[in-house]
Amino acid sequence: MFEQVFFSGLALGSIYGLVALGFTVIFKATDVFNFAQGMFVVCGAYLAVTAISILQLPFALAIVFIVVASALLGVLIHMTLIQPLLGRPMLSVIMLTIALSIALRALIEIMFGPQGRSLTTPLPTGVLMLGSVRISYLHLTAALVSWACMAGFGLFFRFTSVGLLMRASADSHEAAVVSGVNVNTMNRLAWAIGSTLAAVGGLFLGQLQIASTELEGIGLLALPAVVIGGMQSIPGAIVGGLLVGIIEQMAATYISPKSSDIVIYVLLLLILMVRPWGLFGQRELGRV
Amino acid sequence: MTIQSQPQRSKTAQLSVWLTAACMSFAAWSQDAPQDGVYKDRIDWGLLMDMSGPTSASQGIWVNGFRDYMRRVNEGGGVFGRKINVLAEDNRFNPATDKIAYEKLVSQTPVIAISGMGMSASQVALAPTIKAGKVPIVGTYTATKALSEPVSPMVYNGFCGYKPMAQAGVGYHVDMLKLKAPKVVTLAIETAGGKEYHDYVAEAVAKLGGSATHLTVKVTAVDVTPQILEIINLKPDLITIYGVSNTAILTMKGLAQYGLNIPTFGITYLGAPQMFQSMGAQAAANYKFISCFTPGGVDQSAGNKAMSTYADSIGRVEMKQDINYVAGWVTAQMATEALTKLGKNPTRARLVESLSKGFTVNSQGLAAPFSFSASNNAGPMVFKLLGYDFASSKFKPYGEFADYEKYTR
Repeated sequence: MFEQVFFSGLALGSIYGLVALGFTVIFKATDVFNFAQGMFVVCGAYLAVTAISILQLPFALAIVFIVVASALLGVLIHMTLIQPLLGRPMLSVIMLTIALSIALRALIEIMFGPQGRSLTTPLPTGVLMLGSVRISYLHLTAALVSWACMAGFGLFFRFTSVGLLMRASADSHEAAVVSGVNVNTMNRLAWAIGSTLAAVGGLFLGQLQIASTELEGIGLLALPAVVIGGMQSIPGAIVGGLLVGIIEQMAATYISPKSSDIVIYVLLLLILMVRPWGLFGQRELGRV
Repeated sequence: MTIQSQPQRSKTAQLSVWLTAACMSFAAWSQDAPQDGVYKDRIDWGLLMDMSGPTSASQGIWVNGFRDYMRRVNEGGGVFGRKINVLAEDNRFNPATDKIAYEKLVSQTPVIAISGMGMSASQVALAPTIKAGKVPIVGTYTATKALSEPVSPMVYNGFCGYKPMAQAGVGYHVDMLKLKAPKVVTLAIETAGGKEYHDYVAEAVAKLGGSATHLTVKVTAVDVTPQILEIINLKPDLITIYGVSNTAILTMKGLAQYGLNIPTFGITYLGAPQMFQSMGAQAAANYKFISCFTPGGVDQSAGNKAMSTYADSIGRVEMKQDINYVAGWVTAQMATEALTKLGKNPTRARLVESLSKGFTVNSQGLAAPFSFSASNNAGPMVFKLLGYDFASSKFKPYGEFADYEKYTR
């Protein structure tokens, strides 16, 4: 039973890690604590419904549609809502992302109705039996794609010139501007990546579960994941996501389904009290 | 202070008597009882249902079935010349809203009776008020124990009850699968009705020497993985689902993702074609629902043909297959028959008096005939299981109502 729960937690945690990675990219680049990240997951699921169920695009084309549309959504939000608030207090920006989340939810419910939509893709279904452990191919695919995305973006940030510019902008806006980096473009790119990663998570969650605005709750598990892993740390977001997924499934199975939120948020509180910079974050020291 | 003289007082009294008599004769002529929702040309009838929120997918359809039957009645001239005016209140899955809406239908926009009461928590909260009040509930959605027990002349169930659903669903599966000491899992949303339904399942299973486990899930859940993992651990022979359409869809998809082939049945209102289509043929292969109603187009009974013909004529071709539409239709029929018994002068008091003497609802095949008496307000008691045939896009019944009588009678 333990192995079964562990693997399910790992598969779901991989998706949370993907969403959390998107959150961290946005936070590192623009200092925006994005409470709308959960709704980006929902947008991804409904973009998949639009492409696959409504437009009936071939699956490969549907993936392109989802990636392009979600990236454009991120860029649009940055250009129209975030950029004008540059330099304003953090609270204003946080309120904006909360308002954005509410507005997106209402918009989706107007467009698609309040009831969830089922999403069926050509992704492999069925079960792989490893001893007594049942591994769903869909969970396995979701986990593998999430890890591939995380590895891909890790390499992108580490080894490409654009990744370098993005890291430079994230580390110091002023220094990047002085060095001739177009910080606005880097920030837009960060929002595009953040919303796209969430949308990929939404595609899998919509297929594994159901496309519904209630997926926002699952998407928002990225928040404890990044706090646990470390707000500024990309590996931290990934590990935090995996931890949240495993803890959630363990608590739900061995204590009760209601207890998973308690356990996750108690852990978050403990981290904030004992190591506020997270498991992989770096302590910020200020000189007086 | 003004002191009136004797002749003046006499004149005032005379005038009062004349005015009272005039008012009474006017009322008698117009046969109005506006405080009861009865007017010269119409009768107001109330509905309290979730038309938005997580349960609206089933209850909203029920409202459509009710309204469509009443529309048909009105097109035929109404009840003794009065049109039935349906005042539907949306309780938004919120007992507090339900309480406000109930008071509104009792006194602000008075109705002669109310149907529906779809939310189990509202039923529990409002049961004492309803039973002590003057407005009968004629045709409840699935009734909780709090509302239906002990029998009250103010409450008449119009939907399949939790207890017979559990008895028929468990009994049939145990017989068909030849189970001994069956292990059953109830997967239910966290509501008053969910706990009550599980208790009935446990009672039915215990009589067969088996055991039942209650797993809960949030009404708005979009992930049932922990519940599926618990099911893998428990290895039940049978699963029964109490919840909203998403609960059933997620559960069946989850079971299929983990390669679990466990027979599963849902309660009556988890019987909509869209639900099966959302599950997909593979996940839906093990799913049936237990129902005291027959969906539109499934058989050629007179009641089914009449409903299907009317539904088709107003564009409800798909919706007529939804079990909730049929339930709303039958409840409206029950309401109309109750009003017809009152003749030309209906009032709340006369309706309560008439109902308490007992009556039978014969929907001509949409449900087995069911009767009410002073000691029985249980409503439909005979059930059957239905699955979905993807090839014909229609529901298929597993046997007839008569085959299931032994489980509930």
